[in-house]
Amino acid sequence: MRLSVKRSVVLLLTIFGTYTLTRTLYEVLTCPGEVPRTHVVSIGVQNLNQTLYRYDQNTPMVFVGGVPRSGTTLMRAMLDAHPDIRCGEETRVIPRMLSLRQGWGRQTEERWALEEEGVSQEMLDAATRAFLLEIIARHGDPAPLLCNKDPFTLKSALYLSYIFPNSKFLLMLRDGRASVHSMISRRVTIGGFNLSSYRDCLTKWSNAVEVMFSQCMAVGRSRCMTVRYEDLVLQPRATMQRVLHFLKSPWHEGVLHHEEAIGQPGGVSLSRSERSTDQVIKPINLEALTRWVGHIPADVQQDMENIAPMLSRLGYNPKANPPDYGPPDPEVINNTERVLRGDFKTPTRLKRLVQGSPNIVFKEGRN
Amino acid sequence: MRKKTCNVLLVCGVISSITVFYLGLSPIECPTAHSRSGQHGWAVNLQTGQNLSNLLQLPEEYNEETPLIFIGGVPRSGTTLMRAMLDAHPLVRCGEETRVIPRLLAMQASWSHSAHERVRLDEAGVTQEVLDSAVRAFLLEIIVGHGEPAPRLCNKDPFALKSLNYLSKLFPKAKFILMLRDGRATVHSMISRKVTITGFDLKSYRDCLVKWNRAVEVMYDQCLAAADGNCLPVHYEQLVLHPERVMHKLLQFLDLPWDTAVLHHEQFIGKAGGVSLSKVELSTDQVIKPVNTEALSKWVGKIPADVVNDMASLAPMLSRLGYDPLANPPNYNKPDLLFLKNTKIARAILN
Repeated sequence: MRLSVKRSVVLLLTIFGTYTLTRTLYEVLTCPGEVPRTHVVSIGVQNLNQTLYRYDQNTPMVFVGGVPRSGTTLMRAMLDAHPDIRCGEETRVIPRMLSLRQGWGRQTEERWALEEEGVSQEMLDAATRAFLLEIIARHGDPAPLLCNKDPFTLKSALYLSYIFPNSKFLLMLRDGRASVHSMISRRVTIGGFNLSSYRDCLTKWSNAVEVMFSQCMAVGRSRCMTVRYEDLVLQPRATMQRVLHFLKSPWHEGVLHHEEAIGQPGGVSLSRSERSTDQVIKPINLEALTRWVGHIPADVQQDMENIAPMLSRLGYNPKANPPDYGPPDPEVINNTERVLRGDFKTPTRLKRLVQGSPNIVFKEGRN
Repeated sequence: MRKKTCNVLLVCGVISSITVFYLGLSPIECPTAHSRSGQHGWAVNLQTGQNLSNLLQLPEEYNEETPLIFIGGVPRSGTTLMRAMLDAHPLVRCGEETRVIPRLLAMQASWSHSAHERVRLDEAGVTQEVLDSAVRAFLLEIIVGHGEPAPRLCNKDPFALKSLNYLSKLFPKAKFILMLRDGRATVHSMISRKVTITGFDLKSYRDCLVKWNRAVEVMYDQCLAAADGNCLPVHYEQLVLHPERVMHKLLQFLDLPWDTAVLHHEQFIGKAGGVSLSKVELSTDQVIKPVNTEALSKWVGKIPADVVNDMASLAPMLSRLGYDPLANPPNYNKPDLLFLKNTKIARAILN
């Protein structure tokens, strides 16, 4: 065989080609390919009537939230009075799980380390989803439409809307001055809020509600609806009609009389540890609407626009004490009179549990 | 012309067989190792390239009955070596550390340790049972999803065994392997290799030994108390000095058939059905070598004199685990360390 340059080049290329081909074939044959696997995670829950409900990631679900002391418990109690809907108490663990999940997703060394260890973001989503589904489905009675109320979950509305593709969101909004007065006067500990300062609490309120509001906008109007607490207590019928229409649930008169469904099967289950329990046993009323007036320090009042810019953005006049929230329905006026007469006292079985250590009710996830 | 083509074909054939032979001997990275897509399947139906016996079916469903294997211990106690050796077994898959499992377990532990929190959670309908099913679901998603499927799934996150008791409640059929090592060697390893571990001050041998003592005590006590002897403590020194003897006992404990592959894990690195390693983990450069005794006594002479003097009081777990706190180094070949002290386990194996 005469060795010319052309022939030796051809020979080398052939050798190289054969080597690459063999190696590729070897890899393809011995390495497992991307296995087409489909995920089947579903939870079955039986109720007292032996009806089996199946829940999975595609189950329609509604998340209720907002800054604490914005009527979130009232909203979930009214929804609970609907026979097809079950929210139940605050789970407390769901916001913590979401906070943990967020920490693993931030573009930091930790995320890179997780990828190197074979823990992908998709896997973390699947695991978080499984955890949340178990808690939501199992911590109360089953119902056709499951609902969850943990106030700060609405800070993660966009993420929740992604891992639960058929979920909807109700963001409770309220005049920040009322929310802040409520947490300070009732001493409701909330992580990050300094209860000895109206100024600090209003600033934190504005920041928190801004985050939730923008998340709600990002999720979109077809899936996230804002509800003003003031509208809910002044015109409950019209407001709940809008809410149930948004949730695609049929109207039920019971939602306007949630106080009659407390402790009933398929009704409203209350926690003795939660701070709104003693209020939500009463019918919808106007007691808490303008309690804040006259309690805000003068210097804070002067600076209101700067301290809490979200007030005007949400349609609350920062200079009006109070603003005109709207006309009340006659039903509500009647309820309020009954409440002021003292018709609704907290039953002994729902009296607040006396606890030694401070009850940090909410832990704001770090953002 | 025909002769030339023949020659070329002959050369190609020779090169192909040499390549295949060479590849058969050396490890190559499977390209799919770390690029898993989001879709997982628990109802699994797949074909692998390894020689799985037709009798062995992969489980259809993963739940609380799944016989998982959990490996743990204080970091730098041979946990990676142990999981690498088990990974070499064709029926077992451990994979890398998940990092997230210990965090969730720690969060759960803080909730159950606070009596007040327990009350509030019960009031919310989040009973221990509900919480357990949620944690279990999370763990299964991570353990099942983060590596190749296998008949026996295994997880190695060193500090997960701080919740050994809880894990055995979640998974009653699970088995636990607690890696034990001379605390002085462990501490020297983390300090000299600068392995950051939360709570351990790497500038102080004294602090690290105290922390080691506390951590290993928590895990060891739970291991001894494990129901049905489902936890096997394994001494690192015995593993590297007498690997065959230890692995025989271990595989018997795990109800797995013997396979010599576990003694040659270094041949299965990066291979399908073999040992998957991570660039992030600090033991990777050691575990690519075959089982060896290099790291046994590296710590001798490196511990400050004052710490050496106080050794027995700083780290009482040393003598409890069979390591003489005054010997530098002890004779790791002592016969009574070879045999498992836990009579519960010995009884369970005999049955």
